[in-house]
Amino acid sequence: MTISIIRSALMASAVVLAAGPVLAEDITITVWAGGSNESDSYRLEAIEMAADMLSRESAIAGQELNITVEKKLDFGDWPEFKQAVTLAAEAGTAPNIVVTSHLDIAPWSEAGYIVPVEDYLDLDSWPLNNIYDNLMAVAAFDDVQWGLPQDAESRPFFFWKETMRGIGYSDAEIAALPAKVEAGEYTLENVLADAKKAVEAGLVEEGYGFYPRVSNGPDYAQFYQSFGGELQDPETGKLVLDKTAMEAMYQFFVDAVAAGVTRKNHIGTDWSQWYNEVANGKAAMWHGGTWHYGRYTKTEGNTDFFGTIEFSLIPAGNANGRANTITHPLVYLVTNQETDRAEEIASQLIKIASEPRINSLHAIKSAHLGIAKEQSNIELYANDRWASMATERLLGAANAQPNHVQYGAFSEALWKGLEASWTGIKTPAEAIAEVEAELKATLGDEVIIR
Amino acid sequence: MKRINWLGLGLLAPAFCIVIFFFLAPVILTGFFAFTNMSTSTGVTGGEYVLNQTGLRAIEDKGLPEATLKQLKNAGYRVDAKGLAAMAEQFGENAAAEFAELHGDALFTSRRDMERALKDLRANQIRSTRDRKAAAELFKRSVLNERFATEDEFRAVLIEANINPADHDAIVMQAYSGWVWTKENIELIFTLPSSLRYAMNTLMYVGLTLSFNVLFGLFLAISIFYLPPRTSAIFSTIWFLPRVLPPVLYVLMWKWFTWDTGFIATTLSWVGVAPKNWMLDTSTHAWVVIVLINGFVGASLGMILFSSAIKAIPTSMLHASEVDGASRIQQARYIILPQLRWPILFVTSYQTLSLLTSFEYILLSTDGGPGRATEVWSLAAFHTALNNYGGNLQYGLGAAFAMLLVIIGIIASLTYLRFFNFREMIAKPRIEG
Repeated sequence: MTISIIRSALMASAVVLAAGPVLAEDITITVWAGGSNESDSYRLEAIEMAADMLSRESAIAGQELNITVEKKLDFGDWPEFKQAVTLAAEAGTAPNIVVTSHLDIAPWSEAGYIVPVEDYLDLDSWPLNNIYDNLMAVAAFDDVQWGLPQDAESRPFFFWKETMRGIGYSDAEIAALPAKVEAGEYTLENVLADAKKAVEAGLVEEGYGFYPRVSNGPDYAQFYQSFGGELQDPETGKLVLDKTAMEAMYQFFVDAVAAGVTRKNHIGTDWSQWYNEVANGKAAMWHGGTWHYGRYTKTEGNTDFFGTIEFSLIPAGNANGRANTITHPLVYLVTNQETDRAEEIASQLIKIASEPRINSLHAIKSAHLGIAKEQSNIELYANDRWASMATERLLGAANAQPNHVQYGAFSEALWKGLEASWTGIKTPAEAIAEVEAELKATLGDEVIIR
Repeated sequence: MKRINWLGLGLLAPAFCIVIFFFLAPVILTGFFAFTNMSTSTGVTGGEYVLNQTGLRAIEDKGLPEATLKQLKNAGYRVDAKGLAAMAEQFGENAAAEFAELHGDALFTSRRDMERALKDLRANQIRSTRDRKAAAELFKRSVLNERFATEDEFRAVLIEANINPADHDAIVMQAYSGWVWTKENIELIFTLPSSLRYAMNTLMYVGLTLSFNVLFGLFLAISIFYLPPRTSAIFSTIWFLPRVLPPVLYVLMWKWFTWDTGFIATTLSWVGVAPKNWMLDTSTHAWVVIVLINGFVGASLGMILFSSAIKAIPTSMLHASEVDGASRIQQARYIILPQLRWPILFVTSYQTLSLLTSFEYILLSTDGGPGRATEVWSLAAFHTALNNYGGNLQYGLGAAFAMLLVIIGIIASLTYLRFFNFREMIAKPRIEG
């Protein structure tokens, strides 16, 4: 009895309060981040900080807004995360904000899982007008701004300095490598030759001269570009299979295996083993991502990164290609919800989370690159040797993979061909023939074959 | 007249539900999905109508007339009388008048330009972003990038935009974002060069693993039969381990065994053999490992079944044969094997069907590698439907792969029934008749 009286009194006072000038609004915003671990925690914490800011701004504007942020980061791997998001979206229980690969924008926007942030945000306002234009473009699809870039990265080529010294490079020559790579004077041909020297000199074991990524990923599109390949036709927006470039790229990996500098069964190597080996000089040359800096120095025990490792763009493959690197930014996306209000608040939150100062916390903690120009004026970011060097050396030459609904199928087909050539199941020419047939059948008009 | 036995039906009900929900429903749904173009981008629950640049490009390729295409592309945002009237209503006459003066009759191709134009208002500024976006919408004349829940709504907008009615059907069809019925998946599977390889891989996998299962299971059962009871118990327990170990752990142990830093490589390096990955070095290595991994699991089941069948053979027959001077091999050949006909049939048919659809050990060990050399049909179905780096999972195509497997499974079971003459096996026992 007493309880019910208290409850009635509370309800009555709630009604009175609601009718008053200060409106209280409680909202829960759920954020899920894929492909993240503890060092990427600011992908989620930035939203909490933004929620605090937005609540304060609302209070000043005379509205009480209480935002509870629910965070989830521990998904198994990318496929599991993507399944979780799509299934939740189908069931109508999608998280409000997702942090994911920009490649998801095309299929998820078509499916109606996400809403364009440009419906809610003024793209000319701070801090959005300070984000690099090419990164904003990566978060757009079909001329619609679907999301905001959450971080940037790029994928450098690494040299183990001691091994390079062992095959005759002086310190000055090693320091000059990045510039030579950029100018196209040091190519993948040189990589093979130097890797072979390192193996023959016994500085690294056989198969450890050139030690590439162990699974499919944007990295391999870089090697395609190194041989002059183009991923998307700028005129029509269609995907492009350049057979000559692709075959040359397959051939490069076949040659690397034949020369004994790369293992034939390298694909599928355990990631932990791989990280540990490259961070401690077991491989002469390899490639990775800007975030590897964090992994090598924090987890794998390399205490002298700059003393042991040199980095550059991915070298050109031949005269048709160019030295390049791919940036594969993660993006903040806002999902389709029952109420417009939830989408609006989510959009505001990701806008505030893109503040240079907040984003710098993520960039430095996780060894990613910044998204906004002003970050070079934030001491935390500007004083970080890795962030500033990597931004300067790599980001200018970086391009992204295209946002295209069929890009996934395209990338899988190319990878299948590479796998078959690399492991000696097929010759590069045979693999290309199959890739061509497969792409023609699955993508039809959406792929241009040259 | 027979009375319905409600108790019996009641007891059957749980089994009935399990059969329907866990066996029948997945098969029916697979058949249903197989004839759709369902993928992440179409969603599962249905679609809406939205025309974007990609869609526009696709209908351009299909031959949409140039004039209609231009109309659709260039509509953009227009500061026309209709828009200004709506603006006057929502934001006041003064705002509309000022805007007409600033940008009357202007055409903006992008939303951002339209919003920037609205920011030019001075005397009647629209201060909130939301309001400015709402104002911009009043001038939108393009049908691009807008989602409509129903076909009727979308058609109404096309009429309003003065699009040639002859082109409406093509546009509507392209704009539908959901899945549609199609036979293309099946056709695609038959045209893809990789399908044939997956089929051959499956044949090889089932054939080799099945032979290993049955032959090794038989060998184990017979040899254990001749061992003293205590020793035979130890051996059968050991051989049963692969089946009771969790698959992830079991395969992990195989990995430790075969990696280039694993047991085999390390041991052989002592006698000068260069270390290599004994699981993934060539496709032959991968096949041997896959057959062994699956074979040991399957053989343990065969062993149990065969052992119990052997125990059911009257020992007097074996004793009699011993008196006649038969060797162990002769006993196995002329007494044991003939009596194991039905268990062998059972293991063969059961294992064929389960091997056709099982891929978990392959997924965990080689994941279809090296270079898809061990990609079997069911693994291809899984990879297509649920694993894609770019994020667009192809549910329809994956289901079509799975459906063909279901059909093959049904044909195989019918063939087995006929081939081994099951009817004879389940005939009424004559002794008790």
